[in-house]
Amino acid sequence: MKHTIQQVFRSGKFLVGFSIFVPILLIVIVYPLIITYPPLEIISQGTFFPPGIYVNVYDSMGSTQYTLKLDNAAANRIASKLSNDDRLAMKDWLVAAGIPENEIDITNTQALLDQWEKNYDPTQKIAGMTNAQRNYYIRLNNSLKGLLSTEGASIAVKNAETGALEETGVVAQSDYVNINQVPNVRVLPLGTNSFGRDVLTELVKATGVSLQIGFVAGIVATLIGLTLGLLGGYVGGLADDTTMFATNLFTVIPTIVLLILISYSIGQEKRGAFTIAVVIGLTSWVWTARAVRAQVISLRNRDHVNLSKLSGHSIVHIILTDILPYIASYVVMAFILQISTAILAEAALSILGLGPKTTEVPTLGLMLNWAFIYQAPILGKWWAYLPVIVTIVLITFSMNLMNTGLDQVFNPALRD
Amino acid sequence: MIIITGGAALKGYLKYFLNKLLWFLVTFVFAFILNFTLPRLMPGDPVRAIVSRLAQGLSDATGVQAIYEQYTELFGTNKPIIEQFFIYVRNVVRGDFGFSFSMYPRTVADVLKSAIWWTLALQFPAIIVGWLIGNTLGALAAYLKGGFDKVLMPVSIFISNFPVFGMAVIMLVIFGVVLEWFPTSGGYGFDMIPNSSWAFIWSVIVHYQLPFWSIVLIAIGGQAIGMRSMSIYELNADYVKYARFMGIKDRKIVGYVFRNAVLPQITGLALAIGTMVGGALFAEIIFSYPGLGYTLYNGVMGGDYPLISAVTLIITVMVLSANFIIEILYGIIDPRIKAAQAD
Amino acid sequence: MRKSILFLNLLVVLGLVAACGPAPTPEVVEKVVKETVVVEKEVVVTKEVEKVVEVTVEVPAEAPTAAYPRNETLYSNGQQWGPLVGWNPYSTANNNAMAIANDQDSARVIMFETPYLYNMLDGKVYPLLADGDYTWNDDRTEITFKIKEAAKWSDGTPVTAEDVAYTWASHVKYNTSIGVGYKDYIENIEAVDAQTVVVKAKLDENGKAVNPLMVAAYVAKCYVIQKAWTETLEERTGGDATEFVADTAEDVVYSGPYHGFFWDDTKVVYIRDDNYWGQDASMWGKLPVPKYLAHTIFKDNAAGSVALAKGEVDVSQQFNSNIQLLWESYGLPISTYLPEPPYGIGASLPTAFYNLNSHGLDQVAVRKAIAIAVDYPTIIANAMTNQSATFEQVPRSLMNPTPGEQEMYDHDAVADLQWAGNDIEGANALLDDAGIVDTDGDGWREYNGQKLSYVATCPNGWSDWQAAIEVVAAAGKEIGIEITTNYPEWSVYQTVVTKSDAPLPEEGYDIFMMWSQGAGPTMPWQRIRCMLSSEFVGMAGNWSGNWGQYSNPDVDALIQAIPGETDPDKLKEMYTELVRIYLTDIPSFTLMYRPQSFHAVNETVWTGFPHEGDGTDPPVPPLNCTDGWSIACLYNITLVNP
Repeated sequence: MKHTIQQVFRSGKFLVGFSIFVPILLIVIVYPLIITYPPLEIISQGTFFPPGIYVNVYDSMGSTQYTLKLDNAAANRIASKLSNDDRLAMKDWLVAAGIPENEIDITNTQALLDQWEKNYDPTQKIAGMTNAQRNYYIRLNNSLKGLLSTEGASIAVKNAETGALEETGVVAQSDYVNINQVPNVRVLPLGTNSFGRDVLTELVKATGVSLQIGFVAGIVATLIGLTLGLLGGYVGGLADDTTMFATNLFTVIPTIVLLILISYSIGQEKRGAFTIAVVIGLTSWVWTARAVRAQVISLRNRDHVNLSKLSGHSIVHIILTDILPYIASYVVMAFILQISTAILAEAALSILGLGPKTTEVPTLGLMLNWAFIYQAPILGKWWAYLPVIVTIVLITFSMNLMNTGLDQVFNPALRD
Repeated sequence: MIIITGGAALKGYLKYFLNKLLWFLVTFVFAFILNFTLPRLMPGDPVRAIVSRLAQGLSDATGVQAIYEQYTELFGTNKPIIEQFFIYVRNVVRGDFGFSFSMYPRTVADVLKSAIWWTLALQFPAIIVGWLIGNTLGALAAYLKGGFDKVLMPVSIFISNFPVFGMAVIMLVIFGVVLEWFPTSGGYGFDMIPNSSWAFIWSVIVHYQLPFWSIVLIAIGGQAIGMRSMSIYELNADYVKYARFMGIKDRKIVGYVFRNAVLPQITGLALAIGTMVGGALFAEIIFSYPGLGYTLYNGVMGGDYPLISAVTLIITVMVLSANFIIEILYGIIDPRIKAAQAD
Repeated sequence: MRKSILFLNLLVVLGLVAACGPAPTPEVVEKVVKETVVVEKEVVVTKEVEKVVEVTVEVPAEAPTAAYPRNETLYSNGQQWGPLVGWNPYSTANNNAMAIANDQDSARVIMFETPYLYNMLDGKVYPLLADGDYTWNDDRTEITFKIKEAAKWSDGTPVTAEDVAYTWASHVKYNTSIGVGYKDYIENIEAVDAQTVVVKAKLDENGKAVNPLMVAAYVAKCYVIQKAWTETLEERTGGDATEFVADTAEDVVYSGPYHGFFWDDTKVVYIRDDNYWGQDASMWGKLPVPKYLAHTIFKDNAAGSVALAKGEVDVSQQFNSNIQLLWESYGLPISTYLPEPPYGIGASLPTAFYNLNSHGLDQVAVRKAIAIAVDYPTIIANAMTNQSATFEQVPRSLMNPTPGEQEMYDHDAVADLQWAGNDIEGANALLDDAGIVDTDGDGWREYNGQKLSYVATCPNGWSDWQAAIEVVAAAGKEIGIEITTNYPEWSVYQTVVTKSDAPLPEEGYDIFMMWSQGAGPTMPWQRIRCMLSSEFVGMAGNWSGNWGQYSNPDVDALIQAIPGETDPDKLKEMYTELVRIYLTDIPSFTLMYRPQSFHAVNETVWTGFPHEGDGTDPPVPPLNCTDGWSIACLYNITLVNP
């Protein structure tokens, strides 16, 4: 036993898989202890906030202001509002409005802005301009106001009695705050999703739930497969025929179809995470049963088993002491595979809208489901779905690697 | 080659054939019964749903009730389940799958007719191409060993574990939305009507690429791993070592080896057909590709049990037949089976 | 081997038994199972037009051989989900979204036409098949209007008043949804002469019209169908009402500019009839610009949005979440009616209804507490991605955000009853004052000893509604009421909610979401009626409203009285009173404002779509160029690159 474990950990593939899986597991366990935000809390008003560090603007106005004189500050400011494409667009408009082309110099910001301000008229009809372009120019014009000014902005508060604005402070263009001194800063490494939830926190919790589902489903499937395989393989006869028949039946009807039908029949109310896990387990034991049965058949005629039979041990005793240890390796491998299949099955079901209820627990599949419904891939909101897919792939990949590694340990022929 | 020694072998083969046929029929009957009962266990009364839709605005209860009764009569949902079953069997034999509840008054046969060709056209080539390429790669890896194998194994494991929806979405985003090399939806050009012009056929081919490759890549990975394991087993078998020592050319040995290694893979091919619809389902949804998987999904959502029964029946028949044919083929190809039967 | 033979025999026996199962009674089969008309993917060959008009256009027999040119086709999405079923204007089950939308406030007129078109932007009706405005008689019991002389059917025969009369008679005779919906208000429709139609209202015991609003609505909402074709249909179906309505009617005769060209599982295409009467100077004066109207059938919203972004769709009626990103971040030529939030004109009020029979929900305090605690700004920002006005901009009432309706009630009179949401303190105070507190310390309030626990629900897959319900449920935690969510499938949800002849189930439907009426000629009266009138309680198939089964005789009386009232000041008083009662009793509460139809356009190929300040007069509403006055858009659009 000890020797086997030593061998297992020396296998390259197993180690790689293990070293991917264990950190994921650790993160799932440790992260909620450190970061205690509730994963399903809706924190953003608005969908799909991009990843980043969110600094409370109100608090930064009240924090200590430091003056930094940086050379490129003004250029950065202008570039963020007026890209090269914008300049070209402005030139197009001016030309269409009748300004001769050689008088327009898009590299001279001041001159360009002057010309723009003098000539831009939102109501002027330009031939061939679509409504979308018209709106674009209006937005551009609004964003250019005060672009080149060097004065700061003033902060004003409404007087409770008179309703008039009274200036309470000034923000100069060279004022900076230190993020560490701003009381309200929230880091959102993966932004928010369509519900307004913190994606990273929800992802960690969802991974945990999906792993649990995989675990439960794996246990259920392995137990069923083990029992049926043992029964069929060892007892033989009618029991074997029946189990083989049942196995064939389940092979023939595609699992996904069964899953869809059963999930739908259960209905949304009873579809908790645990129920889904059991359902998945009940439909995916086939492969385990087959593998176990094949092994048991080859084992039952071995000498030590015959010896036990002659000694008069009961069937249960024989199975437990003489057969199980030899198929343990297969069972472990099957279990690992079952977990990864179950996680995939749950994700598949959730994407179809047949997964667990949305408000109780998040799962990986549910996060993908909502990301697709709110069209995240097309809108370029990669943080809503890509990390989930990567997590799923990493988990299944690492489990399969571990499985292959174990396979190599138990079947030396496969070692490279 | 295999020499058939007279009547004994033939009789053995017959026994094998009959055995397989028996299993085929028995499994089919049970699967058929299952196909019939499972969808009908779903909650919600689809007839009531159709009637509600048709009776919109009707304010008198008796009017609605009358329509409801008329439709349950038409669909036969008011009869006991046993009776419904026999009617169903008789109709199926005649090719009449009944009316689709969710798309009334279209018949199920009509709905399936349009969908099934797309699924077959998408999945069959995908499975076969994936199978061929995957097995070739796996065999090569086992044979060549060394660097090629070291690269292929992890890559195959990685890709074969990709969920179909993940692969489909990533391909959609990269090749469809960002690079715009391929269209993102539909079976053929959105501005085309099916006809036999070159333009249409080309459009179908172009629209076919992304769904096809998102399924094939994963299949390749899976097959490569399996074939590689089998090949390694075989390559280390005694008869190979013996043949090598005897001085038989490598190429000849390789032929034998791969013929033996391929046998379990053929069984895998049959199984893959069973998962065909499941795999196609996601590709069809994400790429808006017409086909059976999405029809099935809609049927489930609409509580449309004639449609669901029909689709699952077709799937069952396909898988069973594929299994059956392959087992027969197996019997022909693998002499060990004949030997085992002729005892 | 013996076992196997036994098995085989068993199978054979089973097979035989199955084949000899009990046969259904032949009569039932013949009567009920109609001939399956398989929807064939063939083209409707336009017949040669009789030379009645001086200018005849040669109509070539179209055959679907080639692709139809992009620059002659206008693509839509968001209307047609799933394959098309039929062409029968008497039926509501055609799933023929672009061509047949029966009894809609802004009628969809690309194939079938109504006498008048409703314009939701200015609230007026404009004549289409009719010639000039309609007139009431002095008693307000009859409407008279004329049919345009130029109006013709697709087979060349003129549209006459007889057609209008016969359409109504058929609706009544065959108990169609329109017949049932209007027979309490319309006594009869008569053709006085070939061009003149008189619609007679049903009278009450005082000799006044029961509901003049509904009578006037009929002429703007319901199609005119050809008498000759209806007679053919009647013959074909032998007078059976179910068959009459279930017929797929591929030979239907129409008066509109477009008809079916090609349809299968993936798309529907309509082609323009170049003989369309509407090109006469008395109507539009020219043909609609696109030769084809096409609608690809997408699997879901996401697929449709991708197509819109790529320019494969010109007009989109889908809820495209965060649509502003398409032009702000990606610079695509996509725009909506308004360039800023709410991007569209709010017209309907998706509402959360209370099951008034649920434990605790019979208490106004509980209902109000939940309603004022909900975070509406988040619903609008997250669920609707800002495609709705906020409740600060448009305070809640029973009216939609359009200026016309907003003027119909006195804002100041109900200002203290309105709320903007997120009022956790107020909600807690309300509940505490009512004595509904947490007595056993489990964190949830009890009423009469029982914990307050509710299920908030909406159909599965309706993503914006689901997101809104999540926010409603989240409010519960803040005020000590347990609210969980559940999303049954639509087929299950609808059967439960529309069954108003029994109380709603005790569990699972405590707070449920449903729609309200949008903008139309009978609004806001019809909307208020559908939300509050007790006439729907007791209906077996209630698709109209008041699914919470609220009953208030004061409200009923007001609803009865309004249609007959003509004094605008009195009307304003009555509406204000209704709003006051609604905001006091809170049998339901509005969650957000929703446009009549979503309307986003991609200007890669076509331009000239309606947008705010586009200078059209009458203003063209953003209703996907197919509904009501919005059809004028089809005559205004031009190619970007001609």
